[in-house]
Amino acid sequence: MTDTSSKVMSARDAISRFVHDGDQLVIGNYTVGSCAELVYEVIRQRKRGFTLYSQSGIFDVEVLVGGGCVERLISTYVMRAGGKKGGSAVERAINAGTLLIEDYTNFDYNARLVAGMHGMNFIQVLEGVMATDLFRKRGFMGEDKFRVIDCPYTGKKILTVPAANPDVCIVHVQRADKFGNAQYWGALGSVAAAALASKRIIVSCEEIVEHEIVKSSPPLTIIPAYRVNAVVEAPWGAHPTEVLGYYNYDSAMYGLFLAADATADGLKAWMDEWVYGCADRAAYVDRYIGKYGSKTLDNLRAKPYYTAPANYGSAGTSRWDRDGREIFTGLTLPEMESILKERGMLYE
Amino acid sequence: MSKPYTLQELLIIAVAKEIHDYENVVLGVGLPTTAGALAKALYAPNATLMMESGIVDFEPLLPLNHIADAHACRGFSYATDLFSAFTATYRGFVDVCFLGVGQIDKYGNVNTTCVGDYYKPTLRLPGSGGAPDFLSYAKRTVLTMLGGTFVDKLDYLTSPGYLDGGDSRDRSGLFPKGSGPTMVLTTKGVFRFDPVTKEMYLAQIHPGVSVEDVKKAVPWDLKVAEDVAQTPRPTDDEIDYIRNFAPNIAIGRELMQELTLANMQRKVKT
Repeated sequence: MTDTSSKVMSARDAISRFVHDGDQLVIGNYTVGSCAELVYEVIRQRKRGFTLYSQSGIFDVEVLVGGGCVERLISTYVMRAGGKKGGSAVERAINAGTLLIEDYTNFDYNARLVAGMHGMNFIQVLEGVMATDLFRKRGFMGEDKFRVIDCPYTGKKILTVPAANPDVCIVHVQRADKFGNAQYWGALGSVAAAALASKRIIVSCEEIVEHEIVKSSPPLTIIPAYRVNAVVEAPWGAHPTEVLGYYNYDSAMYGLFLAADATADGLKAWMDEWVYGCADRAAYVDRYIGKYGSKTLDNLRAKPYYTAPANYGSAGTSRWDRDGREIFTGLTLPEMESILKERGMLYE
Repeated sequence: MSKPYTLQELLIIAVAKEIHDYENVVLGVGLPTTAGALAKALYAPNATLMMESGIVDFEPLLPLNHIADAHACRGFSYATDLFSAFTATYRGFVDVCFLGVGQIDKYGNVNTTCVGDYYKPTLRLPGSGGAPDFLSYAKRTVLTMLGGTFVDKLDYLTSPGYLDGGDSRDRSGLFPKGSGPTMVLTTKGVFRFDPVTKEMYLAQIHPGVSVEDVKKAVPWDLKVAEDVAQTPRPTDDEIDYIRNFAPNIAIGRELMQELTLANMQRKVKT
C-alpha cells in the first residue's frame, strides 16, 4: 500500500500517481543532471500522448520520443546522434508524421515558463527573432506561437509569447528533504521556472537529507516544499548526465547511447537493455556495475569542493536576554504582566 | 620559427584573439571554451567568461562538454539563471559571443535548424538554442564553421546576420545599431564583413591554403581583400598552453576518438 500521507515514494508510485496520459509534461533540467530515472519510469509505465516541454532535448527527449510517449514537442534544441551521418528519434518521428515540433529560442522557451511561474498571461520576449524563421514558420501552435502587440507606453511593436503552465514537471536535484524542499546548485539554467510554472512537481534527488540541512542553506532551495507532490530518492538518478558535486558525465556510456540512437533499431535495443530491462534505478546501477565494473562507476564520483559558509547569525536569538529581561524595556515577564494589570489591559 | 602546430591550435588562437581584455564574453561549447581559457591566460586576463546556463566569471578546468558542464563550476563568481543571462545580453552587457554554424549565407545569416524543408527535413539539425538571441544583441559575434556549408539561400534562417545586406539589419529596428557578426572562421580562413554592403569577404587564409581552395566551397563570387593576410603561426607559448589545457582539442576529434578506442581495447585485453 502506498502511504498517501508522505511525499517520499518510489519513482514507480510517483509517476503512476502524478503523470497521466495526454499531460503537458516538462523536463525541468537543462542539459545537465537530467531526471533520467523519472524519464525511464514514464517510459516503463507506457504513458502516452504527451505534449513535452524540454529546454534542451538531449538523450531524455530521444528516449521519450523513441518510446512512443510524445505527440508534440516544444524545445529549443534536439540531439543529433553521430553528427551529419547519424539520425535521431526526433528526426525519424517528424518524418514519420508521428511528432509535431515547435521550435523556440532558449530565451523564448524559458520566458513562457517564467510567465507561467508568475501567473502572467503572456510575456515580452526579445524582438530580434522576428527577423528569423523561428517567427515565420509556425508548428502546431500556429498564430499562438508568437503574437505582436503595440506597447501601451511607447507605441513600439512588442513580440510576445504565451505563458506555459505544464500539468507536471519531472526534475532531478542534488538533495531534498522529506517535505519536498528541493536543493539544486551549479548551472541554474531554467530549472526553477520549469518546476514552479507547473501544476504538479515530482522531484528526484541524489539524497534525502535532514530538514535542518535545508534550513541552514536556504539559497540552495529552488522549489519549496509546499509546491512539491512527490520526492524520490534516486542515487545516480541522472546518469549518464552529471550531477555537480556527485558525479561526472559518463562519456563512454553517452557514446554508446549516441551510437545506438543513430538508428531506430539501435535505439530500441538500447532501451530494451537500459530502460525496459531495469525495474528501477538500483537495478540499472547493478546492471552497469555487472557490465563495466564498479571501478568504472567510482571513477565518475566528484571530488569535494565546498562553498565558503555564509554567516546567517544575528545579535540575539530572542526578545529576552540571558537574565530573562525583555531587551528594550529591561523588564521581566512578571513585571510586564503586572503593568498590564495596573493599566487595565488584561481581560478575565 | 616556433614549433610545429595542428590546425585546431591555429583555429583556437584565431578565435581567442577576438577576445579583448575587460570584455564580457559568452562562450558556446567546443572550440570557443578552449579559446576563452587561452585568451584569459595569455591576452585578456580580465575578461569575464559566461555561459547561458547562468555560470558567470568561470575558469574552466578543462575543455567543456556543454554549456552547463560541472568543470566550469569549481570557482565562479556569479550564479544566475538563463533568463537573466539573456536579458543581460539584451541590455547590451555582452561584448562578444561565439556561435557555431550549420549553413551560412553571404550576409552572415545562419541556419542551425534543418537541411531541406523545415516540416519534412532531410536533416534535422540541433536547432536554435540561444543563438538567435545572442546574435541579435551581443555587440559582436564570432561565427565558427568547422563542418558547415556556405549557401546562396538558407533552408531556414535561425539566427540573424545582416539580413539582406547594406543597412537592412540596422533599418529593421530590431537590433542594437552596429551589432552583428564580425568574423567567420573556417578550417580554410577568416572572413569579415564589408562595412557598407555587409557582404562577407575573405580577409585571411590559413597557411598552406590558396584563395582558390577557399572559393571552391563558396557558391557566390566571393570577394577577397586586396591585402589578404595569412593567419599568423602560433607561438610556442600558445601551443604549450593549448596542449596542456586541451590535449583532446589540440589533436582533433577524429584522432581523439581513434586513440581513445585503442586505449579501451588495450584495457580490455589486459
